[in-house]
Amino acid sequence: MSAPPPPLSGPPKPQAKALNCPKCGAAIVLRSFGQAETVVCASCHCILDAKDPNLAILQQFEIKTSDIRPFIPLGTRGKLRGTDYEVIGFQRRSTQVDGITYYWHEYVLFNPYKGIRYLSEYNGHWNDISICKQLPTSEGTSANYLGEIYKHFQTAEANTDFVLGEFPWQVRVGEHAAVTDFVHPPRVLSSEKLDKEVTWSIGEYMYGREIWDTFKLPGAPPEAMGVYENQPSPVTINVAGIWATFAAFAVFLLVLIAAFDMRAKKEPVLQETYQYNRGDAKSEASFVTDVFELGGGISTVQVRTSSPVDNHWIYLNYALINQDTGQAWDFGREVSYYHGYDSDGSWTEGKRTDSVVIPSVPPGHYYLRIEPEVDPSLPAIPYSVSVIRDVPVFGIYGIAFAALLLPALAISWRAFTFERSRWSESDHPPMQLSNISTSSGDDE
Amino acid sequence: MFRKFYLLYGFLVLGTSAFGQYRGWSLDTINQLKNVPKSVRDNPGSYRSVYSGYHHYTGGK
Repeated sequence: MSAPPPPLSGPPKPQAKALNCPKCGAAIVLRSFGQAETVVCASCHCILDAKDPNLAILQQFEIKTSDIRPFIPLGTRGKLRGTDYEVIGFQRRSTQVDGITYYWHEYVLFNPYKGIRYLSEYNGHWNDISICKQLPTSEGTSANYLGEIYKHFQTAEANTDFVLGEFPWQVRVGEHAAVTDFVHPPRVLSSEKLDKEVTWSIGEYMYGREIWDTFKLPGAPPEAMGVYENQPSPVTINVAGIWATFAAFAVFLLVLIAAFDMRAKKEPVLQETYQYNRGDAKSEASFVTDVFELGGGISTVQVRTSSPVDNHWIYLNYALINQDTGQAWDFGREVSYYHGYDSDGSWTEGKRTDSVVIPSVPPGHYYLRIEPEVDPSLPAIPYSVSVIRDVPVFGIYGIAFAALLLPALAISWRAFTFERSRWSESDHPPMQLSNISTSSGDDE
Repeated sequence: MFRKFYLLYGFLVLGTSAFGQYRGWSLDTINQLKNVPKSVRDNPGSYRSVYSGYHHYTGGK
């Protein structure tokens, strides 16, 4: 036997009123102390008039009770937002969109001093709902409640399929209400129109784990499926703010580029033109240049090669050698240029110039060892070699730009895909990007 | 939180790129050798480039 539930907080000790169903005789427990308008017999599912001392039958409906079981059993108590509540009612509702029926569940919670509030659950997404204290104003596709703007999400007809327990209104199975939802995550503002009566309620998204902890339910809550209309975005940062920061960084980067470009010496230290003659080549075709001095501090050294190749190639084995230390940078560069015509028209491939930047070369006296190799079909060809000290490397800025851009893009994409999923379930097509809020702004 | 991280990250990226420019970093991969004999200057053929024997592209479209 389990221990009896603890009393609800508040001065008087409430006592549940025990009655019997006039149809099947099953015990009816009234927990809401006169606040319920209707109560449903848990045994035969007759809807009874809770205001009538004899519990007059208002409606009977047939359903297999094993089909629908509330996640939170009636009578379960828990502390929600600091107040003890007891679950006194449960209903399953549905709506049809494009021939598909969607079901959700609503729970009626009661505290004798705070009154009634509700929980709703759809596909593992929960909302804590209470009746609005002020009348919201609705204009076109938005609504204003307590100064907060809510965007229209969906209007649908909600049908009541199944009821259990007590309800503070005259509930009926088969009842149809027009429900309109406006969202401002994590809140949802809902209007429910039944006949001529409109009820506004405000809901706040809750995670299943919070519900399970509140009511100390066994096991794990059902996993939330998809993105719900007022589910908070996992991107809790101001995306616009991130882009503003990125723009500031980009400007900073431009300043860096300008500053380092102005600072760079771009000093030519060698400029020579050589002629390759196949007939002159003996056992070794390699040679060395004159010694040149690289002054200043550690810097880049650019080696440029150009040759008027035409459907040929020339390849140069280079070694930049420090005469003083014996340190060498060994590299090979090819200059090749091909062109022609085919069925697609004219084409070209390669370039007649080549450039390479040697990193972090210390100052000192250097020379180049050059060993040319030339297309065997070429008897002779000239080529020029120039060496320039301290040139800026723009590729580094490119990498820096990409590195700055990537996090902003990733965050934006994550926010975009989440909002697209959210709005794909709405009355408004997801491709209307104006619907997609780029920010939830919780990080500011 | 992310914004603070992004600020730090951004300054790190900018700082690294500025340092790289200052120190003469390059995106080209160059093979470095040490202690090349001084005799190479008088006898260039004695030096063997690691890139000699490169298979040259002779194509075109």
